Amino acid sequence: MIPPLAHLLSLLILLPVAGAVVIALTRREAVLQQKLVGLATSLATFVLSTRLVSLFSDTAAIQFQERHAWIPAWGISYHVGVDGLSLWLVILTTFLTPLCLLGSWSSIETRVREFVVFMLLLEAGMIGVFVALDLFLFYVFWEAMLIPMYFLIGIWGHERRIYAAVKFFLYTFAGSVLMLVAFLVLYKAAGIRSFDIPALVAAPVDPALQTWLFLACAIAFAIKVPMWPFHTWLPDAHVEAPTAGSVILAGVLLKMGGYGFLRLAIPLFPDAAVRLAPLVGVLAVIGIVYGALVSLVQPDLKKLVAYSSVSHLGFVMLGIAALTTTGVTGAVYQMLNHGISTGALFFLVGMLYDRRHTRLISEFGGLRAAMPWYFAVFLLISLSSIAVPGTNGFVGEFLILIGAWSFSPTLVVVASLGVILAAAYVLWMVKRVFYGELTNPKNQGLPDLSPREATVLLPLVVLAIVMGIASPIFTRRIEPAADALVRQVREATRPAPASVAERAGAAPAPGDGR
Amino acid sequence: MNAVLDLRPIVPAAIVAVTGVVVLLAQAFTPKGGRAPSSLLSLVGLGGAFASVWLLGSGSAEGAVLAGALAADGLALFLQGLVLGVAIVTVLLSAGYLRANGLERGEYYALLLFSVVGMMGLVSSLELVSMFVALEIMSVALYGMAGLDRARPESQESALKYFVTGAFASAFFLYGVALVYGVTGSTSLERVTRALGVTGPDAFPLAVLGAAFLLVGFGFKIASVPFHMWAPDVYEGAPTTVTAFMSAGVKAAAFGALLRVFDYGLAGLASHWQPLVAALAIVTMALGNLAALAQRNLKRLLAYSSIAHAGYLMSALVAAPALAGEAILFYLVAYAAVNLGAFGVIAALSKDSREPATLADLAGLAERRPALSAALSVFLVSLTGIPVTAGFVGKFYLFNAAVASGWVVLALVGVLTSVVSAYYYLRIVVAMYMEEPVGEDRWAKVSPSAVLALALSAGVTLLFGIWPAPMLTLARLASRSLF
Repeated sequence: MIPPLAHLLSLLILLPVAGAVVIALTRREAVLQQKLVGLATSLATFVLSTRLVSLFSDTAAIQFQERHAWIPAWGISYHVGVDGLSLWLVILTTFLTPLCLLGSWSSIETRVREFVVFMLLLEAGMIGVFVALDLFLFYVFWEAMLIPMYFLIGIWGHERRIYAAVKFFLYTFAGSVLMLVAFLVLYKAAGIRSFDIPALVAAPVDPALQTWLFLACAIAFAIKVPMWPFHTWLPDAHVEAPTAGSVILAGVLLKMGGYGFLRLAIPLFPDAAVRLAPLVGVLAVIGIVYGALVSLVQPDLKKLVAYSSVSHLGFVMLGIAALTTTGVTGAVYQMLNHGISTGALFFLVGMLYDRRHTRLISEFGGLRAAMPWYFAVFLLISLSSIAVPGTNGFVGEFLILIGAWSFSPTLVVVASLGVILAAAYVLWMVKRVFYGELTNPKNQGLPDLSPREATVLLPLVVLAIVMGIASPIFTRRIEPAADALVRQVREATRPAPASVAERAGAAPAPGDGR
Repeated sequence: MNAVLDLRPIVPAAIVAVTGVVVLLAQAFTPKGGRAPSSLLSLVGLGGAFASVWLLGSGSAEGAVLAGALAADGLALFLQGLVLGVAIVTVLLSAGYLRANGLERGEYYALLLFSVVGMMGLVSSLELVSMFVALEIMSVALYGMAGLDRARPESQESALKYFVTGAFASAFFLYGVALVYGVTGSTSLERVTRALGVTGPDAFPLAVLGAAFLLVGFGFKIASVPFHMWAPDVYEGAPTTVTAFMSAGVKAAAFGALLRVFDYGLAGLASHWQPLVAALAIVTMALGNLAALAQRNLKRLLAYSSIAHAGYLMSALVAAPALAGEAILFYLVAYAAVNLGAFGVIAALSKDSREPATLADLAGLAERRPALSAALSVFLVSLTGIPVTAGFVGKFYLFNAAVASGWVVLALVGVLTSVVSAYYYLRIVVAMYMEEPVGEDRWAKVSPSAVLALALSAGVTLLFGIWPAPMLTLARLASRSLF
């Protein structure tokens, strides 16, 4: 089966939607069929998406492009494509979704049909965000995706799920509407009557205006990342979400923030991006240290992992703020790593929760003896999460720190502190959960990993190691695009070309006529 | 003027009016105990009128008739089509609702049809006095409909309140007409435009005052702050299908007239009324949404939401006429579908004068009525303005119009208050999907015609959310008659 190449990306979006529609039409009782169709659909999507990798040429070009007029009167088109910045994020999405469905095979017992439907719609929405090359289309996917996530947290979450779901929704929605206004202002100011992202990148607007637009977009993305101080929705959402929700949230959704900076905020508003990069960098480093310190004192395993995300994503943002090829490549790579490591950690915490219905670290201790395989996987993933050499995390953080050195040595030094703190909170947690005597009688005879659980974890473990020792497979596809972005920003912000100022001054005029 | 009187432009309204009379007569000639086929007759009449609007739209009948009082231009035909669509969906919703609540009376349909005649006149009037007459035809019929459920004091209160404030609004409107006439010497919008254009606005403080009075009159009809006080009580008290019809139909008709009067007739005074409208839009969006937060009753909540939506619509009114017209027309379609749907769900569930009144009444609805809950969720998502619904495209369009005309502040207030609105719309979704059902299912079985009505509304909401281009084009063509 070789699908027509021209529609590969559209197929990736449509396949999960089609699966969701089919499942929505089944009877409520046909639970097994719903799970199977859901899993099959997501696996097929993954297999299809691997063709992106095999056919991808290692250049900075946008590939697999498709473009159809959608709302011609406003210059809105259905324009999709991938480049090195988005390629792996698409794969990450299609890779994690079947794992999530498999991982929740037995832990989701109520309203299975709706669960599978929302998971597939979420997948379609996430792929859509990563491949959209039109501001309108991007916004549609960005927002539409909120709804399935909202339901996933609100219906299948834990005790305070409704509070967490509403908080998640309102936070992200508040950020995105500001971005929407920024898009509208940009549309008017650019004066090319188009929402096409590459076209708008080629028509930069007045630097003074850029600051406002950049800030509006940056808030939307910073909430999603989440950057300190916009992170407060994250621990709630993570802790209350069901395992699959947490994995998707950490694995993919948070990446949309970083990706948004790379795809929109920076290329569209290069002047502002360079001017405000120190601000982003400082907030990122505050996030690194803050997230790590808060993780240290968490009594709850899931909260610990959630706050560690704030810290890890701080690294990503530091790499982005540095705006060097190495930094940006590292940032994209670290987004993938975080998806793998933190995704796996959430799976692991979820599996423990399924057994004990608690996530308090103090409830455990000495689990090493009861669950040796579980322990082995947990330790390995923990090591990758704290960036031990040989694991994926090391490559990402190393690239970011190197790439950010020319940006600000001070920030790199402080960020390195975060690496040490990460080792502290993770290893201390591992010690308290797994080492020592098995004192709590409730932990006696906990079953080790089931074959299904092992199937879920195995691909993640393999990837954590492969991405640690064979990183060029991934980075060589990221780098050209990262380099092109950095170059574009440099060119756009090069001082005093008269033509740029002239263009910026003249651009708004045609829009005024409307 | 032509030797032969061309009456084609008023054919659609005439069909509806005649149907109204037929429905009344059929009721009178039905033997005691029998049932007149009122809803069927109404559907036939409305369908016929819709077809004739369609034919007029594809033909070339553009000219004004009845001494320049009425026209079948793009704006008129577009909104007449919309109002007829709203009426058809209302009739579909009403059949089951009236039966389940013991309100089956022929005059309901007759009043509905007469009200539609008023709305159709309102959107096609080129002249202020005929506009006033149409406004009254529409309103008087609605007062009667609001009080239809005579056994319930709330329904009576609703009718009386609506009547008193409505009369008040009419007085303002009429005073505004008088002032404009006094300054320009005409009530024809075309002559008003010309008169205001020649001398420039500064010579006409009285005309500005007239415009302000007209704005107050319209403000009552579209329920913009500070003329909104009646809306929650009236929406809550009136039979729910009437509320659905009112919220969708009146808003469409009144905004159509508002567009014509302000963006065409009083365009010369734009620099005077624009800041006023902008200020009203801001307070309407803010107060409507904030007040909705505090509501426990579903219909009151939707009433405040409808006030807020008047604010969104007004924020596009200050834009350049070309943008304002198309954005507002598209939004009116999206809004009508969504509001008919949301009130329609409440109506479809109501039985023996009891309806889901509070959030608690909807708790766990998704377990028992998955399709109905999904439909209501679609409507609420659209009201919030989230893709892939028509409400999102509509809001995008409205705020784009505001931004493109330099009113970024209106767009900002609009989107930020939309975030506030997300909270109260989501509470309904939370109740339906995330709370456990209490007691047993005591709501009505949804009638087949209501299923059709809700499916239509949800279908339109999603269709224009995903593929809005054809409707946008239609709205653009229709709005050309404004300038």
